Parts: sequence; C-alpha cells; structure tokens
Amino acid sequence: MTSLASPRQSFDIGRLARAVAPSLPLIVFLAMFVYLGIASPSFLEPSTFALILKQSIPTTIVSLGLATVVMAGGDDVVSGGIDLSIPAAAVLAAAVVADLVTNHAWFIGPALLIGLLTAVACGLVNAFLVVLVGMTPLLATFASATAFVGIGKVVTASRRINVTDPLVVWLRDGVIAGVPVGVIAACVISAVFYFVLHRTRWGLNLQAVGGNRDAAEISGLSPAKFIATAFVIAGLAAGIGSIFVLARGSGWAPGTEENMMMEMVLATFLGAAFSPRRIVTLWGAVLGAVLVSALSVGFGSVGIDIFWTGCIKGGLILVVVASSALSRKVNI
Amino acid sequence: MNAAASSSPTGSTAPVLGNLARHSFLLVMLACFLFFAVYNGAFLSLGNLTNILEGSAILLVVALGMTLVVALGGIDLSVGVALDFGAAFAIVAMKDYDASWYVAILCGLAGGAIVGLLNAILVVRLSVSPFLATLGVFFIGGSVQRIFTNGGGPISFRRLPTEYYNLAVGNLFGIPMKIVIGVVVLAAFYVLLERSVFGKRFHAIGMQPSAARIAGINVKTYTSFGFIVASMTCAIGGIMVSANLRMFTPLAGNAYLMQSIAAVFIGASMHPRGRPNVLGTAVGVVFLGMIANGLNLMGLDFNAKDALSGIILVVALVFAIAQRRLKV
Repeated sequence: MTSLASPRQSFDIGRLARAVAPSLPLIVFLAMFVYLGIASPSFLEPSTFALILKQSIPTTIVSLGLATVVMAGGDDVVSGGIDLSIPAAAVLAAAVVADLVTNHAWFIGPALLIGLLTAVACGLVNAFLVVLVGMTPLLATFASATAFVGIGKVVTASRRINVTDPLVVWLRDGVIAGVPVGVIAACVISAVFYFVLHRTRWGLNLQAVGGNRDAAEISGLSPAKFIATAFVIAGLAAGIGSIFVLARGSGWAPGTEENMMMEMVLATFLGAAFSPRRIVTLWGAVLGAVLVSALSVGFGSVGIDIFWTGCIKGGLILVVVASSALSRKVNI
Repeated sequence: MNAAASSSPTGSTAPVLGNLARHSFLLVMLACFLFFAVYNGAFLSLGNLTNILEGSAILLVVALGMTLVVALGGIDLSVGVALDFGAAFAIVAMKDYDASWYVAILCGLAGGAIVGLLNAILVVRLSVSPFLATLGVFFIGGSVQRIFTNGGGPISFRRLPTEYYNLAVGNLFGIPMKIVIGVVVLAAFYVLLERSVFGKRFHAIGMQPSAARIAGINVKTYTSFGFIVASMTCAIGGIMVSANLRMFTPLAGNAYLMQSIAAVFIGASMHPRGRPNVLGTAVGVVFLGMIANGLNLMGLDFNAKDALSGIILVVALVFAIAQRRLKV
C-alpha cells in the first residue's frame, strides 16, 4: 500500500520484510547454529554429528508420516491434511510393545507386530474421523491424540517400562561399517517413502489429490480414498517409529509424545522452507528433523536449561509458520 | 430457534429429521444420566447434582471463552495457558507483592490478556492460522511456566485473603460461589454473543470473513478483541482454580483444553445451523461434568478414567459433527 502511494521511496520496510520473510526460518536456524558452533566447540565434532543423527530417528520417521498426510490433503493447515496424532500413536505402540515384552515375556517379533497393528489401527481411526465423519484433520487428530495418550496410560499405568531386548539394544547401539544401524534403517525407510510417493503411479496420484483436490476428482481419482490411505500410512510410520522410540529411550517413558509432536510439526513445516516451491516434501521433512535434533543436542551441549526447549521450539514453529504465511501473502 | 428450523425450505420431513438428529445428543445425555443413576444411587442425591454443577463451573468459563473464538471461525489451543497465567499472576501478586484480593484479580485478568494479545498479534498481524498460532503459544506458555517455577513445582499461598478464597468455597445466599460466577459469565456471554449486534458481527465473521469485511465490519479489530476476551475469560477460570487450591499449579490448565473444545462442538451440534452458541456450550459442559462425576462414582482408577474420558471426548465429537452433516 505504502509503496503505491510513494513509488519512488528508496527504502521500504514492508518490501524488505516481504523479501526476507520466505527465508527467515533458514536465517534464524543458521544464526542459531553459528551461535552453537562458537559457544560449544564440541558441537562441530563428528561424534556430535553421529549423536544428532541417532537422536533424530524417531522424529524423522513420524515426520515422513506427517509429510505424506500433508501431501495427500494439501498444505492448507486448516482445511488441508495434517496429523498431530502420529507421535501419540507411536508412543502408544511403544507402550504396547514394552508391556508385552517386559511384563508378559513375549518374543520381540510378535510384540512388534502387535505394536505395528496398534499404530495402524490409530491411523484407521483418524481416517474414519476425517473421511467418513467429516471432521477437520486438525481437530480429529488432536482429539484422537488425547485418546491415544490416555489409552497408553492404561497400558503402562503411567510407569516407566525398561526394554532390554537384544534387538532393541542393537537398534540403539549397533554399528554396520561405522554407521549406526538406526541411521541406516532411517535412510532405508526414507528411501521407501520416496519411492512409493514419487516413483509410483499411486504416489503421483496422491500428490495430485493434495495439489488440487477438485482437479484430481474431475480426472477420475477418488480423493477420499487417497486421504484415508495417507492416514493409514501415517499410522504405519508411527508403528515403525515406535521401535525407535523404544530404542532411543531404552524402553517406554511417560510424556514423550508432547516434545515429539513439537519436533515433528517443526521439522515438517521447516522442511517446506527448503523446497523451491515452499511446499512440504519428504526430503524437507527428513532434513528438518535432523536440524531440529541438532538444535536439541546443541542446546544440551551449551548447557541451556531443558525448560527452555519448549520456549525455543515453540517460538521457532511460530517463526516458520508466520514466514510461510507472510510469503504466501506476497504471491497473491 | 424452532421457527428458524421449520421455515427452512428443504421440505416437510427434513426439519423433523433435522430436529430429531439435533436433539439426539440430549437423548444420549439422558441415557448416560439414567445409567449413572441406576449404577450408583448416590449419583442422584441433591448434594451430588450440586457437585456436578459446581465442578463444571470452571470448565464452563473456559468453554465460553473457546465459544467466542470458535464463533469467529478460529480455535484457541492456549486456553490452558491463559488459565495458568491467570492463576499465576493472581497468586504471585498476593504472595510476593501483598496485593489485596481485587488487585490480585485484576492482575490475573491481565495475565490472561497477555496471552490473548500474543494470539491476536500472531493471527491478525502475522496472519498465522489460529490453530498453529495458539499451538505455538501453548508450547511457549508451558515452557515459560516451567522456567518460572524451576521445573513445574506449585506455588502455594496458604494465607489467602478470605474474599479471594471465598471466590471458590464461599456462597451467595446459599448458592455456591463457583456456580454464581459461572452463571454470571454465562449470562454475560449470552448477551454479548447471542443478543447483541456485536455478537451478530462475531458470527458473521465466523461464517464468511470476506463478506463480513465487505459489509463494513472491522474483522481485524473484532478478531483481536475475541482472542483477548477469550483469554481473559480463561483467566477467570484460573483465578477460581487458584482460589480453590490456594496455589498455582503449573500446566494445570491443559486439562481443560480438549474438554472445552468438545463442549463447544457438542453445543454447535444442537444449533439449527450448526453454529457454536453459548447455551449449547453450557449443555456440553454439563454433559462432560456429568460424565466425569459418574466415572468418579464408579471408582475407576486414575489412568482408566483418563483414557475413558479421552475416548468419550472423541465419540462426543463424532456425534456432534456427524449430526451437523446429516442435516445439510
């Protein structure tokens, strides 16, 4: 507005803000890493890097699930696709596995299968709420997350459950050719997601539904089916993630889901800042998860109080979403 | 309300079906009521019914704030933060600054207003969607409380001024004070949202923001006002909580978040056009209060109660929203 009134104005704060807005999250992140690198020299060591990658695995996997839902439902945060219940489903599945293995002496294989089925059932609940009942994904998955957390409390009686199964320990500590097993697994899972969503006809159709639901419907696709499937895939991601939740924490501990939900939302939407079209992508989500994990590890090494992490991550979410909202305004 | 429903041009049977669907939630509520009454005789005693109303008062206040924001077409996930800030500001004002009880109440309201102002800036100025903006504030607010209390320890203040303590435990002409406050806030919101031009504008913004803007409503001002008033209302709830417990418990407000959302959507399902409305929210709150009380009387353990009420919330939302679709 102001630039219309005075076109010859040499310095326009509004225009500057609009030019900077899209890359603001990247600038903020870069500044934080520069600070962490200076404040804590050990932050730049290779061992720190390995730790960051290992810590990021559960967030990476649930973020892949969220990215799938966003790609199928469109990236409008209100009417489009979003699934806030993935961490809750992952933690519930982890609770089931931990309870079966430690308290009921099950073998890890069948326990993991039950855990996976639990998480997929969570995905089906979300698909039902969104596609059949017609709830907005935000409300549906926020509500179902509360229910999943509640059920998890019943399963575990809110008490920590240690898991010392060799497979879980191997996923945590194992190394193949110098690379941690968990990191290799996360890479493979990311590659599978990439293949399914970007290299198959089905995946491209799913992206078409997310890009323009009406156009996809006119060309003969059934958006409801794709969106429902995306929620089930998110449930599957939660199920896979649950194994790594157990590995990272050497068992199940109450209250892990809130931080994970924060990291997942931050990672996935931060990832959009890296894509040329500013949309949520799988690689963006993976990169975002690693960056968020790097921040957590970095804050730990500088000795920032753990109570601050919610403040910083919540603030970053706001920076990311505000900048994407502002840059979208420019495009219109 | 009935006049509006029966004059709808969809034919003669549709309104009947619509009305039935609309009131089927009341039937569910009645069924629950009867179940609890049969299961445990103590449920029906006058003392217990008063208990239900008294126990619902805080949720009612929070849910009314939520109704205002949902009527504007938004949602407020930071109601719990606003409630906690209200409680914290009031208790700290009295404990550390020897404030008198009415100054403490004003401080509590100011604490809520800060949260609302932050939401308003994010939503109106930075055009962040209400859900994500208030989600961010929810995370930040929780973290701030942990920092402030060194990890979440409660701040207790036993020597509360009697007037302040009476906000929770006192009574007015024999009616418990919590119920009095709840009814006063309910009446205020009813007049504001359902019986004034002001309220009509809120609903207009919620239904069609662009049309409302063209019609000359200052959408930004109304939206900011809505978020700030909602948070201050939640702070009233926080003041009641702190008076009741004689302390500020960090993160206590989060318990009211899902419940208030559920109450608003249950209320909306009973409205002829599926709009969030004050009286519907009140019915939703009483329903949730009844469920909580009934489950308590059944003697379930803490974790099972938590899970069950989470599931009931989801089912209630499914009912509420599925009905709204049925009518369209």
